[in-house]
Amino acid sequence: MVQTVLLSALQQGLLYGFMVLGVYLTFRVLDFPDLTVDGSLALGGAVTAIIITSGGSPWLATVAGTASGLAAGYATGLLHLLLKSGDSNFTNYGPKLLAGILLMTSLYTVNLRVMHGSNIPLLRKETVFDQLSHWFGKSMTGWWVVLVLVVLMLLVKFVLDWFLHTEVGLAMQATGDNEQMLRSLGVNTNVVRVLALGLANALVALSGSLVAQFQGFADVGMGIGTIVAGLAGVIIGEVLFGVRSVRWVLFSVIGGSIVYRLLIAVSLRLGIAPTDLKLFTAVLVVVALALPTVRKKVIRT
Amino acid sequence: MSAAAELVIQDLRKVFFPRTVNEVMALKDVSLRVAPGDFITIIGSNGSGKSTLLNTIAGTLPATSGTLILDGQDITKLSEHRRAKFIGRVFQDPRAGTAPSMSIQENMAMAYLRGRRRGLGPGVPRRIKSRMRERLAELDMGLEDRLTSQVNKLSGGQRQAMSLLMATVAEPRMLLLDEHTAALDPKVAATIMELTGKIVNDSHMTTMMVTHNMEIALQWGNRLIMMHAGRIILDLAKEQKALLTVPDLVNKFHEASGETLAIDSMLLE
Repeated sequence: MVQTVLLSALQQGLLYGFMVLGVYLTFRVLDFPDLTVDGSLALGGAVTAIIITSGGSPWLATVAGTASGLAAGYATGLLHLLLKSGDSNFTNYGPKLLAGILLMTSLYTVNLRVMHGSNIPLLRKETVFDQLSHWFGKSMTGWWVVLVLVVLMLLVKFVLDWFLHTEVGLAMQATGDNEQMLRSLGVNTNVVRVLALGLANALVALSGSLVAQFQGFADVGMGIGTIVAGLAGVIIGEVLFGVRSVRWVLFSVIGGSIVYRLLIAVSLRLGIAPTDLKLFTAVLVVVALALPTVRKKVIRT
Repeated sequence: MSAAAELVIQDLRKVFFPRTVNEVMALKDVSLRVAPGDFITIIGSNGSGKSTLLNTIAGTLPATSGTLILDGQDITKLSEHRRAKFIGRVFQDPRAGTAPSMSIQENMAMAYLRGRRRGLGPGVPRRIKSRMRERLAELDMGLEDRLTSQVNKLSGGQRQAMSLLMATVAEPRMLLLDEHTAALDPKVAATIMELTGKIVNDSHMTTMMVTHNMEIALQWGNRLIMMHAGRIILDLAKEQKALLTVPDLVNKFHEASGETLAIDSMLLE
């Protein structure tokens, strides 16, 4: 039993790990709490599913799903610019939250349109996991899925490491860290922010695409609660594994994603009703957020 | 060495909250010619418009009317980040000029790219590290041995010294300093001021420095401007400035503004 729980936690943690990397990019690197992710995760799944069911290559479907997230992120970024310039009474986070909410809501409709309905089953359709099965002659279940996902995750992680330390990547980091400074060094922070939001939502949509193919269906509701699950992964990872450098923290949040799914799997085993999971997750985020403060207080007294 | 800029300011006006009950005219048609290589110190009471003047020159605030001509180019409509190619800035808050959670070398590397397109090259290329170390060593704060330290581990003085370096390493044609020593303790403030003098002297960058401190305003630069209620009420050349003391400056203010000044705070600093 321990093995099944662990296995499913690893699978889910890795599948949703790309999404957690995306949430880390927006929430921490960019200082932009981006609510688009609820919509862009489902969008990635929807676009992938419709292409696969229309007979397209699952690889093309995965790339297209990811690209749809890129577009959704760009849309959020551009809408944010519009909202930011339109009303000076907003605080810093006002336009950011509103842009995300508007995109998230709009994407719900977009996803229904893309799928011509609320759900597309992918049973007996060829997914990337099936193709990998053919190539390696191994059924893509259990630990084989974990292995494939670990390889893909490491690839994405190292590309992200490299990118965040290029000239543009440093500008992305600085946009969230001190935007005024970056502007005074001649960088158009508006453009940088839009690019980063695109990248982050592409990662989220990649998760959506893989999740849909793994579970065998895309559903319009599959993205609900993504932002909270993403935050849970980021914060649990940071608290448990530390934040000593950007390269390190990317590992931390992937670890956080796995631990979070482990906590979910264990609590389901212990009898928490699936309907209570969202509240459970929210409480988990609050606890993880409070932990460093509590720890400091305890040490002091 | 970069060419020092000439800045011609014509009838520059800035109105905050136009057409509301809170409408304030912070700059009242200010005109000024800043000669290449000028080092102007700017003083004035709170709300006199000195910070607004710098912010409007830098493009942080759009001008309501009037024009800004930098070396013959009209920059009035240019966005802030485009003007930053020519204009370096240091702010009052030592935290404002650096990215706190990034390392010293990352901050410096970003400053070297002022006004240039950023691509997929390495953010901190090896070839600039020795140059970076040299410049940091000039600060005499030991920062050259801490290239990978996060900037938020540094003291306010160290951060402001770095801000100054970052504003100037890529040799912009103009430097704007907005009370950049006001938030530091006196000893550190003096160090930063010395450093400022050295950098401006070495590069001959055209410089405008806002300060609350009349002593500093008299001691540094080749020209002194006093602002009051959105206007320039006094403009002294180097020779006139050299003969003045702080009390003289206070009297000048009374004459020029025709008001009794709540001057205590300015004198005490």
